[in-house]
Amino acid sequence: MLSFEDADTEETVTCLQMTVYHPSQQQSGIFKSIRFCNKEKFPSIEVVRFGRNSNVCRYIFQDKQVSRVQFALQPFKQFNSSVLSFEIKNMSKKTSLMVDNQELGYLNKMDLPYKCMLRFGEYQLLLEKEDGESVESFETQFILSPRPLLQENNWPTQSPIPEDGGYSSYFTHRTYPTEMDENEL
Amino acid sequence: MERTLTVLQVSLYHSTPGQGAFAKVPLQLLHDTSRLLVGRGKDTHIQLQLPQLSRHHLSLEPYLEKGSTLLAFCLKVLSRKSCVWVNGLPLRYLEQVPLSTVNRISFSGIQMVVRREGGNSLEAFVCYFRFSSSPLIYRPQAQETDEWENVVKKETPPVCGEATHGLLGSPHGSSWTQTAVSSQAPEEEQK
Repeated sequence: MLSFEDADTEETVTCLQMTVYHPSQQQSGIFKSIRFCNKEKFPSIEVVRFGRNSNVCRYIFQDKQVSRVQFALQPFKQFNSSVLSFEIKNMSKKTSLMVDNQELGYLNKMDLPYKCMLRFGEYQLLLEKEDGESVESFETQFILSPRPLLQENNWPTQSPIPEDGGYSSYFTHRTYPTEMDENEL
Repeated sequence: MERTLTVLQVSLYHSTPGQGAFAKVPLQLLHDTSRLLVGRGKDTHIQLQLPQLSRHHLSLEPYLEKGSTLLAFCLKVLSRKSCVWVNGLPLRYLEQVPLSTVNRISFSGIQMVVRREGGNSLEAFVCYFRFSSSPLIYRPQAQETDEWENVVKKETPPVCGEATHGLLGSPHGSSWTQTAVSSQAPEEEQK
């Protein structure tokens, strides 16, 4: 057995942290098969599936409203990159997968940003990637959030629209006041 | 309404006599939308019997481009040791590239030409395999010429790309079923 001083240098491992929330998480037991806070290691050629089917999925949501395979994550390497990237693919025929503001339909896939919010149904998952040196393996870690990850109606900001549907000069984009003659009023 | 299956016409070549490398490759393979594993391992869908191949050498994974209704495919290298060349681009471990309609792929002495014929089924796709006794992909060789030779009059250089049109894209008699219909099966082709 090699001593500490003679052993090969350990490489840091890329970690994908997933903070999850569902409004019924306390009473329904949908996350009961997930070991929170525990880091789990996977080889980099593995596809990690999430869904209801325990025969196929590594992470199970105990919820009949979840597809048998809801989505899949797998690592890959960008050209000229030394770190692992991840791509996510929607495997559900019934439910779209929102990645931040991008909507993925069935079999659509995209590269995961370093930090992003996944949404499907009432599920909210905040994914955060911490880079590591190793390309041989990666880790996942689940965290349960006691409160919603998204504010309600926290959609992309839009310009306000008046109730009567009409627009007035009040809503036009002005950065400075307009000088008016007092007799114009 | 019956949906047509996407078809991958796969031509394979290796220099081993008797094509022993492809002894376990079926003539036809129907596969769902999970990734197709290619390699030496028993758990691969296309098992190639060559010791220099990795157990999981590469994968072909179907997906849908946004806005498209036809299956696309992504080739990913799973071998840590070998390089896989796809249409002239060298890929290494975990690197991936989307496939075109016709693709020239080479790795560990194997040449594989994959031609995709689109179908609108999102449940499955089918692969038809054929085995070539001559190389499918040529690389241009450097030619030595006399410095006084007229360059215009020299022989036509070797073609880089598909070896012959006869091997690809046109049926040999009735050995191919070109129509991607799930109920039809290709006639057997002698190995």
